[in-house]
Amino acid sequence: MSEEKNKPIKKDDSEGSGHISRRDFLKDAGLAVGAPALGSIAVSTEASAQAKANASAAKGASASAAQPAAELVPVELTVNGGKYRYMVEPHWTLRQLLRDEVGFTSPKDWCGGLGACGSCTVIMNGRPVLSCLTLACECGGAVIETAEGIAKAKHPIIQAYINNNAFQCGYCTPGFVCTAKALLDKNPDPTEADVRDALGGNLCRCATYQRHPPAVLEAAASLKQKA
Amino acid sequence: MKTLKKFAHVNAKTVDEAASLLRSGHAAVLSGGTDLLGTLRFEVLPTYPEVLVNLKTIPGMDYIREEGGMLKIGALTRLEDIAKKELIQKKYTALAEGAHRTATPHIREMGTIAGNICQLNRCWYFRNPDNRFNCIRKGGKMCYAMAGDNRYHSIFGAVKMCLAVNPSDTAPALVALNAKIKTNKRLIEAENFWDMVVPGSTILAADEIVTEIQIPTPAAGCKSAFIKFAIRKSIDFPIVNCAAMIGNGNARICLNAVYNKPYRALKAEELIKGKIDEDTADAAGAAAVATAKALPGDRNKWKIPIAKTMVKRAILACA
Repeated sequence: MSEEKNKPIKKDDSEGSGHISRRDFLKDAGLAVGAPALGSIAVSTEASAQAKANASAAKGASASAAQPAAELVPVELTVNGGKYRYMVEPHWTLRQLLRDEVGFTSPKDWCGGLGACGSCTVIMNGRPVLSCLTLACECGGAVIETAEGIAKAKHPIIQAYINNNAFQCGYCTPGFVCTAKALLDKNPDPTEADVRDALGGNLCRCATYQRHPPAVLEAAASLKQKA
Repeated sequence: MKTLKKFAHVNAKTVDEAASLLRSGHAAVLSGGTDLLGTLRFEVLPTYPEVLVNLKTIPGMDYIREEGGMLKIGALTRLEDIAKKELIQKKYTALAEGAHRTATPHIREMGTIAGNICQLNRCWYFRNPDNRFNCIRKGGKMCYAMAGDNRYHSIFGAVKMCLAVNPSDTAPALVALNAKIKTNKRLIEAENFWDMVVPGSTILAADEIVTEIQIPTPAAGCKSAFIKFAIRKSIDFPIVNCAAMIGNGNARICLNAVYNKPYRALKAEELIKGKIDEDTADAAGAAAVATAKALPGDRNKWKIPIAKTMVKRAILACA
């Protein structure tokens, strides 16, 4: 997945919370070790991407309109409130872009990209969508929210999930949280049946299913209290 | 996760532009993408498209409105929007329910009605990753399900030797509601829309694109319903589903996931034109599966009583 690395043109620092997570620590430690090598790679990928873009532009001019050449697509999107601009390959998925380029690793992969598990759910323009079945190049102008953003905004769904122990290993939790938040955004007063229906596309291998509806209902109640 | 192989991506601005791109060959239509991208990722088909033609950028294809005595639904209308629309829930109940029971909430938020009716058929040999079985549906010589494990396959025989079933939940509803499907070339009766064409599931030409679904407003006194049997309440494709519209001395009943295309239960329709009660519904269910036959080995025999019950329940839900 990482063989075609892309360089972000601009990246807003939207994570300046000062809090260091285990993942950040490992990432930074890895970066420090590999820094000299990475510097040169980054230059060469930039050069090759540029060369590729030029080549495909030249090809595009000569090829007929019916067979456009593959080229990098500029995409500007908002993720968790931060604005990002990337050049993406047409076959990249949104999940790939979020994890490998932007650095939000909450969209997980379980079913392998079939759309059968809901682990990679993100909220895109208000709809809970599967980032593994969404092409990154179609996300221009999209407003995306991942579990990181929901946690950072201190949405009551997070505390409700903790209070209700609605997870065991936690791998599926980001997907559940995104789906639940999208439901609460649309329907602040859901019934238990609504919750079960909305979470119907998320699988949990630890089988914590019974704990999700009370957690979401608790979040709905505390949202109402706040309002 | 298996990554997608490279392809070019074009945002179409008009249906004509999309059609001309498709005419060039080696191109595939992309709307919701929930079926297509999985098929590409797992390289289910022997060929891989060079270009994906994105239809979502064509303006004015996402709408639900009633006009001229019919309901018109734009091809790019998402399934969740159809399922949640009160007008459809009230007057075109079978369609709202069919859309609601499709796949998962996420896929309904992404998938479109046109994509749902144009999705490829399901068969675990046909859909096996890396094109492992070059079956009749891919232009090969044999159907692996005929001799293999066919527990989910057709109970009404093969079409052009293929036993794969059409998995759409909205398709039987559209047939029951007597819908028409409008493309950039013609208007097709829903009943005639599907066929076994390698590797597709519809009669559409390579450069033909669904633009609108048209459903005549049911007469007063008509009721419609949709019933689905699947292993899980959410996520799963149907083992058998059934949609019915009954009233004013007319009945239209359509099963799906039992045959290569949505299967209209004509014999059941004959029986139910009078009054509906437990006995007539039971008899109609039996009539619907009278010609059903398990495949050699009886692995899919269990689907027959389920199909019978689905017909019965769909009828009773219209009472």
